[in-house]
Amino acid sequence: MSVSLRRIVSRLVVTGNIRPARFAHWVGVTALLCSGCSVAGRDTVGAGDSGGTLVIVQPFEPKTLFPPRANGTQELSVVASVFDRLAEIGPALGTIGDAGFAPRLAKSWAWAADSLSIAFSLDPRAHWHDGVPVKAEDVRYTFHVYTSDAVLSQYRSLLANIDSVSARDSLTAVVWFKRRTPQQFMDATYSMFILPSHLLASLPDSALVAAPFGRQPVGTGRFRFSRWDAGTRLEIITDTANARGRAKLDRVIWTFVSDQGAATVKLLAGEADFLEKIRPENIPQVASTPTVRLEDNRPLSYSYLGFNLHAQRSSPDSNPMPHPVFGDVRVRRALAMALDRPRMVRAALDSLGLVAFAPAPRVLIPDTSALRQIPYNVVAAKALLDSAGWRDSNGDGMRERDGKPLAFELLVPSASTPRMRLSELIQSALKDVGANVTVQPLDGPTALGPRLDARNFDAWMGGWATNPGLQGMRQTWASRGASNSQSYESPAFDALLDSALTTFDAARSRGYWARAFQQTIDDVPSVWLFEERALVAVHTRIRLAPLRADAWYANLADWSVDPAHRIDRDKIGIGGAR
Amino acid sequence: MQSLLVVVVAASFSFVVLHVAPGDPVSDIADATGISANLKAQWRAQGGYDQPIGVQYVRWIANVARGRLGQSTSHQRPVIDVIGDRLPSTLLLMSLALAGSVLLGAALGAWQGARAGTRRDRALTFASLLLYSLPEFWFALLLLYVFALRLHVLPASGDVDAAMHDSMTGWQQLVDRARHLVLPWASLAVIGTAIFARYQRETMREVLREPFVRTARAKGLTESAVRRQAWRAAILPIVTLSGLFFPALLTGAVFVERVFGWPGMGTALLDAIRGRDYALVSACVIVGSAMTALGTLLADGVRMFVDPRLRNV
Repeated sequence: MSVSLRRIVSRLVVTGNIRPARFAHWVGVTALLCSGCSVAGRDTVGAGDSGGTLVIVQPFEPKTLFPPRANGTQELSVVASVFDRLAEIGPALGTIGDAGFAPRLAKSWAWAADSLSIAFSLDPRAHWHDGVPVKAEDVRYTFHVYTSDAVLSQYRSLLANIDSVSARDSLTAVVWFKRRTPQQFMDATYSMFILPSHLLASLPDSALVAAPFGRQPVGTGRFRFSRWDAGTRLEIITDTANARGRAKLDRVIWTFVSDQGAATVKLLAGEADFLEKIRPENIPQVASTPTVRLEDNRPLSYSYLGFNLHAQRSSPDSNPMPHPVFGDVRVRRALAMALDRPRMVRAALDSLGLVAFAPAPRVLIPDTSALRQIPYNVVAAKALLDSAGWRDSNGDGMRERDGKPLAFELLVPSASTPRMRLSELIQSALKDVGANVTVQPLDGPTALGPRLDARNFDAWMGGWATNPGLQGMRQTWASRGASNSQSYESPAFDALLDSALTTFDAARSRGYWARAFQQTIDDVPSVWLFEERALVAVHTRIRLAPLRADAWYANLADWSVDPAHRIDRDKIGIGGAR
Repeated sequence: MQSLLVVVVAASFSFVVLHVAPGDPVSDIADATGISANLKAQWRAQGGYDQPIGVQYVRWIANVARGRLGQSTSHQRPVIDVIGDRLPSTLLLMSLALAGSVLLGAALGAWQGARAGTRRDRALTFASLLLYSLPEFWFALLLLYVFALRLHVLPASGDVDAAMHDSMTGWQQLVDRARHLVLPWASLAVIGTAIFARYQRETMREVLREPFVRTARAKGLTESAVRRQAWRAAILPIVTLSGLFFPALLTGAVFVERVFGWPGMGTALLDAIRGRDYALVSACVIVGSAMTALGTLLADGVRMFVDPRLRNV
């Protein structure tokens, strides 16, 4: 599998497209699937480049489409298509100031002289899908909801620097900040989808999460919500009256198949056009299907072998003590030196993995070549462990110190195949330098999460998804970060991180980031392992807009269907009833 | 009354087991920055999941007694709405699968029983044993591979063609639904048929050795009339079995629904267990227990209808 997979991926990278379409075959398959069915009603069909239907198959059904509580691709892909932000981040994912941001609900914006407020002028042509004009009050109300104690939005922490939002007039919303920061424009735009106050403000905040709006949303996006048949499908259709122009596709339909293998079959059988994630073992089969092609997608995520730097506390009030193994940076460094990361990543992920450089995906690291990585050197690793006092005193191949073996438990989320594979390779590699690793697979949400929250672990195979501005680094790796379950504490790193996040000059900011990343490499709170290259599978007649790293669905309204290769479901239109 | 007690005990048991298991509804959240332990704690407090299990149980059972099944955390809507959406699909699939299993199994088993020991009987016995030993989900995957992926003659998943169904005429919509039903139905019914056929074959063989059959033959009845009489007597265990088979079918439907993306109770239950959706899991158990009790009652009724002697017992 590995050789063919490598060929497939390398070909994909070169051409961006694996197989030419074989329309005749596709028509034959479709004719069989739809045998006995003809299109009874076709209306409002897009013309030219517009029109067509995209069917997305995904394993999970959304819980809600209420933006402040939307989480995960299955929810955000719909929410981002139906709702708008004030402005949209650019393809380069720049987060300093407003550089690269494109107008959305706001047609323009003006910074205050002291930069502590930004006045967003709303597009006067913008309307909610129910026909009501968008007002500045909607922006003010949105901020209220996102920061409400009753709603408990996960995005609230990303809005901490916003003091308030006011409506200067019906079309001007002013966002007031507590501090001047490079990311304040992103704070005001990236984390909030604007909500319709005329539909929601009459409800108490405590009723918003469970309100019917979460299943029948009304937004301003180029797609409008159409229907959601629980357990079966969710459909959005183009908003033909949208001020920014209709979406190119007539309809996007999400269908839900819990079993990943069955979802892949649905794609291969021609019943679906898009599958976000393909299992590595299915890639050769998908690649050999004439009607489907693979596209490269690099999500903003990274994975690592994380060490708990503190020993488990005897009681919550007791002082933290260094971990008996990982409290010593020499040991962490030696363990890192014992791991041949490029070989391991290739063995576990073939061409679908890239070696991680630091606690960020490489697309967000200024200059990866400038980072000094810990070299793979087993001899040096053994010497370093010797100098740290861990020696094989009884000749059994395993090291001890003060009668205690060099051993630890490695927690692994059992649902992650790459991390499971890598944990076994790590176990084997560390055994060669005298460390005994017990791999403990655990169900991520129910068993692993509580262990991490309680900081009751030695080491774990971790992973984070990041946002473009890397503001989440404060939460995940800063000394008092709420999600810093490994208790990594480095004043130097904290200072560099603060500088990187608060410096307005882009070049200087990049310099701080480089030094901050280098600090995490030198401190070794984790061994940075891999970034996944997720391949998406898409029908050959679908033309994709560029897949943005933070959200493949960001430009869904610009996806289209090749007019020359349309099939029956592309000719339905948006339906007269809607 | 006994059935009601069974339902309450089963639901309470599931409630306790699920709460004792690691995790809670808040645990089912992907790795993402922004969701801190503190925020999770706030969500737990908001949902009351941080309270002692006894407090949660009393609150839950009191609500259930008033007919309030609560709010599903994995669907963010009332549990009763989730059940209302899913139950009809499962009932349709299960009832058709049960009907198919009983009818085909009884017919096949009776035919075999009347020809016990012949080459054709042995071949069918082997085939039914083979099917009997197959797990439903494996058989479902096999059907999916052959008929949806290789032959392209039947749809792979869902209950309708998501993109085309609304644009079809009434008749076409009916055909569309039927086509989507074939594979999940076959996954359950074929294996069910094998089970019923094996039981029916044995009971038919035993009945054919009964004195009344000899008497009937001695009186000069045709062989087909004799077999018809024998089959009427042999059908009783099948009726009883169909009542017992109902919960087993429900279990099978859980996996089959998952494979075929069938929007029924099975997929909802699996998702709810994964997401530690206490309210929905408990409601599914209540519905499942009620369906089992109902199935048993129905089987008893049919047995009394078929065998008048039971009416006076």
